[in-house]
Amino acid sequence: MNKYFHAFLLGLQSNLVYRWNFAVRGFFSMFHLTVVFILWGAAYTGNHSIGGFSFAQTLTYFLVMLVMQFFVGAFNEDYQISEEIRNGLINQFLLKPINYFLYRFSIFIAARLVTGLLILIPLAITIPLLRDYLTLPTEMWRIPLGLVAMAQSALIQFSIAYCFGMLTFWFLEIQGFVILSMAVESILGGQMFPLDLLPAGVFRVAQFLPFYYQTYFPVAIFTGRISASGAIAQGLVIQLFWVVTLLTVNQVLWTRGLRRHTAVGG
Amino acid sequence: MTRYLQIWLASARYSIVRTMMFRFDFFLWAMVELFWMSVNLLMIGVIYTQTKSIAGWSMYEMLLLVGTSLLVQRFLMGFFWSSIFEMGRNIRSGYFDFFLAQPGNILFMATTRKLDPDGLVNSFVAMGVVAYAAHKLGLHPSALDLVLYALMILCGLVIHYSMLVISVSLAFWITSAQGVEGIYFTLTEFSRLPREAFRGLASLAFVWLLPVVVVSNAPAQTILHGFQPIWALALVGAAALWFSAALVVFHLGLRRYNSASS
Repeated sequence: MNKYFHAFLLGLQSNLVYRWNFAVRGFFSMFHLTVVFILWGAAYTGNHSIGGFSFAQTLTYFLVMLVMQFFVGAFNEDYQISEEIRNGLINQFLLKPINYFLYRFSIFIAARLVTGLLILIPLAITIPLLRDYLTLPTEMWRIPLGLVAMAQSALIQFSIAYCFGMLTFWFLEIQGFVILSMAVESILGGQMFPLDLLPAGVFRVAQFLPFYYQTYFPVAIFTGRISASGAIAQGLVIQLFWVVTLLTVNQVLWTRGLRRHTAVGG
Repeated sequence: MTRYLQIWLASARYSIVRTMMFRFDFFLWAMVELFWMSVNLLMIGVIYTQTKSIAGWSMYEMLLLVGTSLLVQRFLMGFFWSSIFEMGRNIRSGYFDFFLAQPGNILFMATTRKLDPDGLVNSFVAMGVVAYAAHKLGLHPSALDLVLYALMILCGLVIHYSMLVISVSLAFWITSAQGVEGIYFTLTEFSRLPREAFRGLASLAFVWLLPVVVVSNAPAQTILHGFQPIWALALVGAAALWFSAALVVFHLGLRRYNSASS
C-alpha cells in the first residue's frame, strides 16, 4: 500500500506544477456557468418552475455538478495512459511488482485533490454573486449518501477513461473515441440539462446506463432532485453494478491488450 | 493574390489526399462533430419541451440561431482549426521555424496549411438545420437576404478566426500554458444564445466587447426579420477590429519568438 501512497505523492507534486493551467480552466468554467445562468434565466422568465424545480434549484444543480467534476471527473487520464502505452513507458510497470491500475488511480486521486481545491478559489468569488440564486436542501442524510455516490462516480469516470486508454493497444489514436464518448456522456450524464427533464421513457432507460451514475446521480442526491429513499438505494446498487462491471472490463482489456503489446526500446 | 490562392489550393489538395488515405479517421471525426452538434440541438429540444420561449425566441427561431452559430464554427473547424491548433504546439516546441523559412506571409502559411474535410462535411448539416428551421417558420428569404446572410457568416468566420489566432498567440508569451485554445470554445458557447437574453454587464461584455453574440445573431436576424443595417455595421466593424487586433497580437508575439530547436 505504501508504494501507492508514494505514487499519490508523486501525482500531487506533478499536478501542482500545472496549478496555473487548472486555475485558468477553473476560471473559464465560470464562463460556462454564466452561459447556464443566461440561458436558463431566459427559459425561466414567465415560468416559476421547470420540471417541478425552481430556477435556483436548477442553477444549484449546474454549480454542484461543475464543482463535483473538478473533484471526481476524469480530465485527461485517458490520454496520459494512452501516451504511456504508445511511448513504451508502460514497460517499466511490467517489470515491477506494481499494479498499473492502482498506480494510475493513485495519481488520479492526487490530481483531483489539486483540481478540486483549486476550483474553490473561483467558487469563493462566484458564490457571493450568485447567493440569491442558489438553494440546497437541508436534509443532512443527503451528504453521506451523496458522498458514497460521488466516490462510486469517481471510480466509474476513472474506469471509463482507463478503458479508453487501454484501446491504445488496438488503435494508435484514441482522441476521436474519447471526444465522441464525451458527447454521449455530456447528454446522458446530465451535464447539458437535468436528466429528469427528458421524456419519462427515455429517462427510465438512462437510469440503467453508466453515464447516469457518472455525474447526474450524485448531483441529484446533493441538490434534492432525487428524494425517495427507494430510488436512492436502487441507484446506489445499480451504480455499484457499473463499478464492478467497468473494473472487470478494465482487467480484461489490460490482460488482452498486453498480449498484443510489443515492448520496443530500452 | 493568385500565388496565395495557388498555395492554398495545393494545401487543400494535400489535405484531401491525406483524408482519403485515412478514411476511418475521417468517418470518426465527422461523427464526433455530428454528435457534438446533436448535443447542442438536443439541449434546445429538451428546454423547449418545458417552455415556449427563450428571451422571446420560439423553438425554431432558436434552432435557426444555433444552426447559424454551428455553421460559422464548422467553417472555422474545416478551414483553420488544425493549422491554428498546431501553430500553438509549434510555437511551444520550436517547430514554428518551419513557417518562418517559407517564402510567404507567415500568418497565412501557418493558419491555412491544413484543411479538415470532416468539419466541412458537417457545415452542410448546419446549413440543413438552418434551412429546416426556416422552412418550419414559413420563411422565404429573398436572394439578397441569402447573399447578405452569407456575407455575415464570412464576417463571423473572420471574427472567430481572429479570436482563435489571438488565443493561440498567447503561446508566444506563456509557452507553458497548454490548452489556451479552450478559451475559444468557452467563448463560442455564448454565440448560441439570443442577444435579448443578455442584460447589464453580460450584454456589455459578450455582445459589444467580445462580439461572440453578434456573430450568430446578426445573420440569424437577417433571415428572420430581413436586413438590418445596424447589425451588419456592427458585424463588419467587429470583423475589421478583431482581424486588426489578431494581426497586431500575432506580430508582437512573433517578435518574442525564440526558436526552441537545436
